[in-house]
Amino acid sequence: MPNDYIHIILADDDEDDRLFFSDAFDELNMNTKVNIFNDGVELMDYLNSEASILPNVLFLDLNMPKKSGIECLNEIKANSNMADIAIAIYSTSASEEDIEETFVLGANIYIKKPSSFKQLKKVLSEVVSMNWQYHTNGLNKDNFLMRL
Amino acid sequence: MKLFIKFDFNTICKKVLETKLGELNIKYRILAFGEVELLEKVPSETYETLNTALNDYGIEIVENQKSILVQKIKDAIVDMVFNEEDPINVKSSVYLSEKLGHSYGYLSNLFSEVTYTSIENFIIIQKIEYTKQLLLTTDLSLTEIAFKLNYSSVAHLSTQFKNNTGITPSAFQRIISKRRTIAQQKN
Amino acid sequence: MIKQVFSRSALFLRIVFLVSVFLILVIGGFTYRHISNLTNSTKQVVSTYKVNVELEQVISYLKDAENGHRNYILTKDTSHLEPYLSAREKVNESFAELKEIASHSEAQEGNLKTLSKYIDALFKNFTQTNAFVENGLTLTEEFKSNFFEEKIIMDSIRQKINEMIALENKLLKERQKQYQSNLQFTPLFLYLLLLFTLVLIIISYNRISNDFKNIKLFNNQLSIFKEATIQLETIGKHGNWVWHLDTNTFVFSDNLYQVLGEKPGGFNPTLENLIAFVHPDDKQKFATEMDKMMKVEDLPFIYFRIIKRDGTVRYIKGYGKLLVNGDGDKRIIGNITDISDEIENYLQLEERNLELEKNNAELSEFNYVASHDLQEPLRKIQTFISRLEEKEAKNFSSSGLQYLERINVSATRMRLLIDDLLQFSRTNKPDKEFVLTNLNELLENAKQDVAETITDKEALIRNDELPILSVIPFQIHQLFLNLLSNSLKYSKKDVAPIIKIAYSKINSKDDENLMKVPKRNYHKILFSDNGIGFEQQYADQIFELFNRLHNKQEYSGTGVGLSICKKIVDNHDGFIMAHGEPQLGATFTIYLPE
Repeated sequence: MPNDYIHIILADDDEDDRLFFSDAFDELNMNTKVNIFNDGVELMDYLNSEASILPNVLFLDLNMPKKSGIECLNEIKANSNMADIAIAIYSTSASEEDIEETFVLGANIYIKKPSSFKQLKKVLSEVVSMNWQYHTNGLNKDNFLMRL
Repeated sequence: MKLFIKFDFNTICKKVLETKLGELNIKYRILAFGEVELLEKVPSETYETLNTALNDYGIEIVENQKSILVQKIKDAIVDMVFNEEDPINVKSSVYLSEKLGHSYGYLSNLFSEVTYTSIENFIIIQKIEYTKQLLLTTDLSLTEIAFKLNYSSVAHLSTQFKNNTGITPSAFQRIISKRRTIAQQKN
Repeated sequence: MIKQVFSRSALFLRIVFLVSVFLILVIGGFTYRHISNLTNSTKQVVSTYKVNVELEQVISYLKDAENGHRNYILTKDTSHLEPYLSAREKVNESFAELKEIASHSEAQEGNLKTLSKYIDALFKNFTQTNAFVENGLTLTEEFKSNFFEEKIIMDSIRQKINEMIALENKLLKERQKQYQSNLQFTPLFLYLLLLFTLVLIIISYNRISNDFKNIKLFNNQLSIFKEATIQLETIGKHGNWVWHLDTNTFVFSDNLYQVLGEKPGGFNPTLENLIAFVHPDDKQKFATEMDKMMKVEDLPFIYFRIIKRDGTVRYIKGYGKLLVNGDGDKRIIGNITDISDEIENYLQLEERNLELEKNNAELSEFNYVASHDLQEPLRKIQTFISRLEEKEAKNFSSSGLQYLERINVSATRMRLLIDDLLQFSRTNKPDKEFVLTNLNELLENAKQDVAETITDKEALIRNDELPILSVIPFQIHQLFLNLLSNSLKYSKKDVAPIIKIAYSKINSKDDENLMKVPKRNYHKILFSDNGIGFEQQYADQIFELFNRLHNKQEYSGTGVGLSICKKIVDNHDGFIMAHGEPQLGATFTIYLPE
């Protein structure tokens, strides 16, 4: 396999959350490569650039200045080149309706940011491994919906 | 216009293999899902070309023995789950160790090591995905699907669905149908 | 109603009048006939007497002629022939008279002819006899027989005349008798008719005087009503106008002038003068409406502004309706009202409403944002604590670890509170969509949400088949979830919880909890458990926000869950009630309108 690692991107404006995220993946010891962006504009600039390597899983915070997670989601879904990216919404909280709404808009995963580091690691590993299952076992990605 | 497609991964994969092997004039025999026997020796350049060509389709030539065995386990599980006509009544552990000629413990360890998940979990994932497919492409109710997939009760399937995906089967159905409505409105 | 009474009365009077006129005409007719009959009858009596007199005269003339004749025969003196000759003339005169009078009876005419023959014969005989006398042949046989014949003829004449008199008398008697029978009943009939007419006239008089009394009464009421209307107009700032379609003239009430800021009758009541007061911006619209009114003879509500002479602008509402009275006169009766105060009040109210709405929205936004934004730092605190516990545990003293644990417990509790508050404020948000939903599915989903606790506590949940209702699905799911969690949380230690969910469709009349409710049919869903229950006196309190019946060490809880339940049921125009018995269990009853 040419890119044997799993490519992961996070866009989050909160410094602490970015730290938790990268720490968690460091400790998880999965074969992953994590790229982190500070807001939606940075993220979209990267994804739209020619040099970009599209991630396997993209974690999107909803509340970001300049460009919100939902705006990013809409842009990505409108771009057929990015259809393969599994999108995980990574948010503090939302109502059931909001969660369903993001799924309808095309998100695959909805993660409510956990309140313990242990839990965070567990959640992230579940996401990666489930995405891996979809990726390696020819499962229909359109049916990939997961809430954690 | 947007088309909704139901596809069979196996058929596609087989077709791609046939085309690519044919293009390179390699004599072959497809043994089972995920297993091709080459009937003559292939030069290393041709082998590389084939490997690259197949990688474009996300198909990978598995080289090491562990991977081959894992693929066999997966195939056996897919057979078990999707084989509706002749449901397997023995426990999956017994079924797998009998079919593959290894102890279940060995298979289980190997599987977890390579795939980041357990055999049990893989079976559940397969079943849930099949359930999703049936929910979307047939008129079968969840109760009927539970029966079809050998679940003891609809509640069991429903709970497993929820545990695995975090959403209920009905929410899943609702979300997908909303997505399709929106897609149709766009076109 | 008054109008009806009068119109009925008028019809009655008209009929009575017509009947009376007819009866009087009938009476007149009868009287005329009666009198003319009487005249006829008199005439006939007179003519009979005349006939008789003339006949007697004829006899007497003839006797004169006979005497004269006889004297001539005896004396041969021609002077005796004179009465004889004059008698002849007189008889002829009488005869002419008789012929005229007796023309009414054929029999009498016949008799007259016979009589005339006899008389002619008599005079012929007289002449012959006289000739004998002249010639001195008086003693001849011929003369004797002639003379004798005279006597016979004379006797026949006498007899005939007697006969005629008798006949005339008989005729008279017959006719008299006939008239008698004709006239006998007339007076009585006339009298009765007259009486009847009188009665009719008396009745109508009565009626008329009654009506008059009523009219007076109504008039009184009308004048009171009119006064009241004028007062009302003043108080309500109304003005009244009437447009007579036939003459195209307007009548304005006094207060209409006052509404326009003028003295009563301060200007000519014409449309042009009225339009002069209308605000320039509304003039076009007003004129169009008026034109339309004149065409379609109706005026729906119109709104316009006027400018009074002193420059103040007032808001006016106008309305008119066609009224056709009994005589077919068409009028449009209308009203204008100064609604400036109302509009001002309305605007103020609207402003206040908007302010309130804004306040409310701000409040709920604040609530939402506060709880939502509080989550983030709290989550980080918790995460950092978890990092400390994981990575730095060995650097803490045992009391340090204990403090860390305490911080964690507090943070967890705070998180619980914030989550519930957030949930509550979400439930508060209006304009949710109602969707036809199978409640069984929602209950099933709620059960799955607490599946872990159900397994842990070995809880048993039994439910009836629930209906399909138009609800806000997420909220009803939340409702079921909160009720299930509540029952599971407040279960008795060491007793497996049993939760029963019963459903029935009920009529509000049959349920003592549903007195004075707006809808008739309700869906009743009962959640009952075998938990620790509560004192019934707290049944209402438990739905209040942050109200808890147990201390938090014993049972973790924020006192928000049931408030959310109440909010959700309120959002569905339903009712929720709690019933508890300590150590026996609690029952929550939900009523959702059909």
